Amino acid sequence: MAITGRVPLLVLLGFVAVLLRPVGGTVWLWLLLVLVVCGLDLLLAPKPSSLTFTRRPIGAVRTGHPAESLLVADNTSARSVRGVVRDAWQPTAGATDNRHRVRLAPGDRAALATPLLPRRRGDLRATGVTVRLPGPLGLVARQRTLDVPGTVRSLPPFDSRKHLPSRLARLRDLDGRSAVRVRGQGTEFDSLREYVRGDDVRSIDWRASARTSNVVVRTWQPERDRRVVLVLDTSRTSAGRVDDVPRLDSAMDAALLLAALAARAGDRIDFVAGDRRVRSRLRSAGATSVSGRLQDAMADLEPVIAEADWDALAGAVQGFGRQRALVVLLTPLEPSAVEEGLLAVLPALTRHHRVVLASVRDPELDRLTATRDTIDEVYDAAAAEQAVSRRRRTSELLTKLGVDVVDADAERLPPALADHYLHLKAQGLL
Amino acid sequence: MTDLLPSAASPAPPAAAPAGPPDAPPTRSGPLGWLRRHRTALVIAAFLLLAVGVALVTAGGETGQSADYDPANAGADGARAVARVLDDEGVDVEVVRSADDLADAGADSGTTVVVTSSEQLGESTVERLRRDAGGARIVVVDPNPELLRVLDQPGSAGYVDAGDPIDASCDDDLFTGLAIEVDEASVMPGDGCFADTLVTADDLVLLGAPQLLTNDQVLRADNAAVALRLLGQQDRLVWYVASYDDLVGDDGVDFASLVPDWVAPGLALLLLATVALVGWRGRRLGPLATEPLPVVVKAIETTRSRGRLYRRSGDRAHAAETLRAATRARIRTRMRLGPATDEPTLVRDVARHVGRPEAEVGGLLGALGRPPGSDRDLISLAAALAALEEEVRRS
Repeated sequence: MAITGRVPLLVLLGFVAVLLRPVGGTVWLWLLLVLVVCGLDLLLAPKPSSLTFTRRPIGAVRTGHPAESLLVADNTSARSVRGVVRDAWQPTAGATDNRHRVRLAPGDRAALATPLLPRRRGDLRATGVTVRLPGPLGLVARQRTLDVPGTVRSLPPFDSRKHLPSRLARLRDLDGRSAVRVRGQGTEFDSLREYVRGDDVRSIDWRASARTSNVVVRTWQPERDRRVVLVLDTSRTSAGRVDDVPRLDSAMDAALLLAALAARAGDRIDFVAGDRRVRSRLRSAGATSVSGRLQDAMADLEPVIAEADWDALAGAVQGFGRQRALVVLLTPLEPSAVEEGLLAVLPALTRHHRVVLASVRDPELDRLTATRDTIDEVYDAAAAEQAVSRRRRTSELLTKLGVDVVDADAERLPPALADHYLHLKAQGLL
Repeated sequence: MTDLLPSAASPAPPAAAPAGPPDAPPTRSGPLGWLRRHRTALVIAAFLLLAVGVALVTAGGETGQSADYDPANAGADGARAVARVLDDEGVDVEVVRSADDLADAGADSGTTVVVTSSEQLGESTVERLRRDAGGARIVVVDPNPELLRVLDQPGSAGYVDAGDPIDASCDDDLFTGLAIEVDEASVMPGDGCFADTLVTADDLVLLGAPQLLTNDQVLRADNAAVALRLLGQQDRLVWYVASYDDLVGDDGVDFASLVPDWVAPGLALLLLATVALVGWRGRRLGPLATEPLPVVVKAIETTRSRGRLYRRSGDRAHAAETLRAATRARIRTRMRLGPATDEPTLVRDVARHVGRPEAEVGGLLGALGRPPGSDRDLISLAAALAALEEEVRRS
């Protein structure tokens, strides 16, 4: 039940009665009258159950891009109904204008559109549909909140998309589709063509040249159909925020850029995310749809306050197949966490695969080491230097174990990881 | 800023206080300093005392013998003339100024009791007046509607068009042929003389034209005659000047008797309307939408807390060594010396590179350097290390 603004006005109208008969009893009589009228209005108000709601699926949308929730209200009663409907979403879904006036004849239906603007990654939920239907006098309304489930899947924003064109251009350089051809150790024989000045003389195929009047060179293309396994760590260390963005989100950005690039290069991408257990798994995404499918798989991952179980994650990596792969571990280079969890499983991984560890570096560390004006800052600088040196030692240890470490700021990690991938591909180290 | 720190950390000796910065307020002890510090409060307190004093003095004057129709008031609104004349005429005039005095006066049926300042009568004092009057004739001067209600003489009092003489025009022999002339007069309930401004009900006389008693207007028309005949019927006249002081409890002229009667129910109505307003605005259209909040952990938090730990333990030697080691490592990388370079070699190379004495560089970088003795030393060491790094980078 809810009352409208007309009730206080009706009560104030009692002033006329009070002026005519200025005793206390008049007030109570008037109050009784108001209550009776309100009670009648409430009895005559249509029931909220006379409206039924269905929600059209919204699907997925990238974070920060607009979407629209469609709620269909159906008047199943024999009376005409008017009132207000509120379609409530959790605040980060960015639902604006979510109060709708409805006026429905019996059997009528109306689509109520609520614009959404997701501000946070993940599955954002509708919290309930509230119906308020006033009686014929407009004094009192029946109100009820119904649960009409609905979600909008807010995908990772993939801000590093802007780096994709330049990396694709470099990939084409490797690929032999552009004028420059690269000969590398791990490249595959592609075709024969006539020698032009500037070609590497070592690539001349003498046997083929002997059969024709021209000098013929071999061309190569980079290896294709390699496997890239992205391992996303969602444990406690990924919850830490760097410049107010969780490390997990920055790591996702890097993973998405690498996946998009690798898919264009003809490699297959597997993805696993987890902490204590495996949270999400995606197998051999096809070349075209990898970004979308990967974003979908990442959408509702949240950091968990638990230590990562690297045995389980390594097991998941091995579960994708025995074929040699590029395993990219997206986990912070946190000395204690790495030494206690990751180091134990690394030898098993490096024996079969090429392993790269991509970590989000905190620029705040550098700022702390650089400011040394007060005694507090000097102690902070000492602590930061300690952290930096421990990270460096861990990084050196990992390098000794045959792991490539890419440690960069959140903004620079995606291009740095993509460059490292291109470097490996050019060297034929995949 | 940095210069101020050590002195701020260590407690300053008391002797140094007067030699402080010139713009600091002088902190003087003793009563003079106390006065100076509390001067605002003192000024306010003084004014309050003054205000209370003025209020007491003026209020005392008001309630004293300057009240309207007071038998001792010689002013324009007083009634001393009437009282004196009555006294001269042989009437025993006794002025009482409280209910207790009235009781002591022992009025009886041979007495006239005249009540002035009647607006200060309340239910309890009217009751005492009735009891103590002992069958005497009671003349109530200028009763207001509330008092009329208490006296069981309810009725709305209208005003009389005053200015011209008003004839008695009633069958009371006492006033036959007389006329009064006053500035203001009000009609009393019931039938009476002088256009109902003087009404007699049993032994209660209500006088709605009180100004005929005043020194100023007593000489107009037949005012004096009316006054004397009204008050001088018996040998004894008890002049009761009513006072609020005699009221008991919440009796008397309360706020409710002064405001129109629709105000109280109107306020109740307003309260109800406010409650309805709160009910209208306070009811939400559905519950609050809640957000499952994520964990917010700053990645740098652990490093900062380690810094605070260092600070609390005051381990300057450890902090200094950490900073030195970090600088050594960076300079090694910068000068491509390799991680295996031993310290003397590093110091020698750096000194040669930046053109500084080897001892100075050694004191900064090496384990030879003494651990800093104070916080200030640690800060300057940190700054010097940063400067050395910068020099290495430049040259």
